[in-house]
Amino acid sequence: MKIVVLVKEVPDTYGDRKLNLETGLADREASEAVIDEIGERALELALTYADAHEGTEVAVLSLAPEGATATIRKGLAMGAGSAIHVSDEALRGADLGLTAETLAAAIRRAGFDLVITGNVSTDGSGGMIPAMLAELLDVPHATGLSSVEISDGAVSGTRPVESGVQKVSADLPAVISITEALPGARFPNFKGIMAAKKKPLEVLTLADLGITADNPEAARSIMLTIAEKPPHAAGVKIIDEGDAGEKLADFLVENRLA
Amino acid sequence: MTLGTTSLRRGLPRVPGGEPWPPAGLAPAVAAAPAAQADSGHVAQAPAPAPAARVVEAVAEAEPSATASAPAATTPPEAAARPVVAPAAQPVVAAEKPVRPKPEARLYGSRTRGQWIKLVVLLAVGAVAAAGILVLAARGVTTLPGVPEFLKRYPGAYLLPDTVEPGFPWWAQWAHFLNIFLMVLIIRSGYQVRTQQKPPAFWTPKRGGKKISINLWLHQSLDILWLANGLIFVVLLFASGRWMRIVPTSWEAVPNALSALLQYMTLDWPVESGWVNYNSLQQIMYFIVVFIAAPLAAITGVRMSEFWPKDAKRLNKIYPVEVARAIHFPTMLFFVLFILIHVFLVFATGALRNLNHMFGGTDVVNWVGFWLFAAAIAITAAGWYAARPLIIAPIARLFGQVSSR
Repeated sequence: MKIVVLVKEVPDTYGDRKLNLETGLADREASEAVIDEIGERALELALTYADAHEGTEVAVLSLAPEGATATIRKGLAMGAGSAIHVSDEALRGADLGLTAETLAAAIRRAGFDLVITGNVSTDGSGGMIPAMLAELLDVPHATGLSSVEISDGAVSGTRPVESGVQKVSADLPAVISITEALPGARFPNFKGIMAAKKKPLEVLTLADLGITADNPEAARSIMLTIAEKPPHAAGVKIIDEGDAGEKLADFLVENRLA
Repeated sequence: MTLGTTSLRRGLPRVPGGEPWPPAGLAPAVAAAPAAQADSGHVAQAPAPAPAARVVEAVAEAEPSATASAPAATTPPEAAARPVVAPAAQPVVAAEKPVRPKPEARLYGSRTRGQWIKLVVLLAVGAVAAAGILVLAARGVTTLPGVPEFLKRYPGAYLLPDTVEPGFPWWAQWAHFLNIFLMVLIIRSGYQVRTQQKPPAFWTPKRGGKKISINLWLHQSLDILWLANGLIFVVLLFASGRWMRIVPTSWEAVPNALSALLQYMTLDWPVESGWVNYNSLQQIMYFIVVFIAAPLAAITGVRMSEFWPKDAKRLNKIYPVEVARAIHFPTMLFFVLFILIHVFLVFATGALRNLNHMFGGTDVVNWVGFWLFAAAIAITAAGWYAARPLIIAPIARLFGQVSSR
């Protein structure tokens, strides 16, 4: 079985994250770059399965700027067998559609039985890529799984919805996305880090994948404006002088919260 | 593909200082018309904002499509008007922001490099001046009436009973070396616990319990080794009768310590005879370090750790964790200050002989003690280098679970 795990390099949520106020793109210099935690969890899921099932091939796939090699190697150090790094200057500021097309082409090129992704990244918070991939790859998709069971020809799991929990399953090949309910990542050990240096890390460009980024016939999203988040304004304090209830009610009505 | 007459809508550049994206061009003929209509809500808002240059440019390109689709905007005026006003307020703020390319000096901490250099130079000059004043003042004090007699009566040390053997036994040398090694790593890991916002890894006990940072795990593990080392040292110290060397046994220690301090300050230092007997200032300092500072560090550390019984309400009211937190860090600062002065004096008062005392166990002047000391420092440096998650994690894993978050 071949499992492709999507990982994404994101600005670390521990620090202040910034957008470039001219381009509207993430300012990657402003904070430390790490693998998004949800991607680590996705990889952990694949590795746990691979540990128990001989002959499982786990590949990490990432679409990231040139400098992301170290981050992707961490995925190899954790235990993935190979890595694919799609990097192309033309992908700068790529929208969800172009990103998904590129990733789908890379996945198809590598071959897959199962694609595991996080449900949503911490930087873009789009959450659309898994569904787009399933559509482009023309395979079933199970979204937002909080528990996953992988068997030989199928994948199943649970999916929390408003009214309860859904049990879903799909035949392989398939795309699944997971939530933070899945176990956290293992800490790479010394052996893994040494081994990671010898594992194959393939770097692909758009030309390798046969994708044109600036095809005028394809509709692409552009960003029109960007503004810094205004500083938090002080809230309204209501002091109880016997009429706090009325004041609260007035406040709620005034702000259309009632 | 045939191009229409509608120019492409352009947005923010993809690189700082670049052209708006996408490059100027015409939209495909088929796609243009429906896109413009479907998008009429958005397009309607385009001409509204009149902010700074870059945004205007993007808007100008979009204008033709706005006129083309104008009849399409048949929504009630009220609903159409709202989105125009709301987003218009934001771009004004946004556009003004980047027009401020003020080259600011790079800050290191709170100051620029120049300010730091100035500060360090000023502090150094101040320290030298203060030291000079102190020495002159101390020399002045020794000329005051009664002081020479005081110095004669209390030469800086009082005699120990004959039962105390001179020299430093092997266990004291080993305890001293282990103490160097552990203290350096304890202070470092403690500082990391205090300052690191994002630990590189976490450790959870095998039998379950609270997850702590790997630095805290290292700190506490070293603490346990350090306490064991200290305990063995103190037991042997009392069993061997050598405790009298670092525990004051006479009130004469106080005036003698004052005398020794005054002599240090005049730069006319008291005679070194550490092989046999410490001067009273040394004795009191070693006593404070071993019997006050170290237990204080331990008891405040335990209070903050997971070892402390959290649910003992009475106990925790008498000894709140805030008190422990307030004491633990200054205790470390005391240790660091002590180490600095200790090392300085070891080297300033006959380095080779002093190093032979504590590392070689002899009272001769040769390089043996120095090289043993150098080896101890090298081992400590190696420990410092090795105290990184990559090497600590496998060790920590023997005692619990290690995770990256």
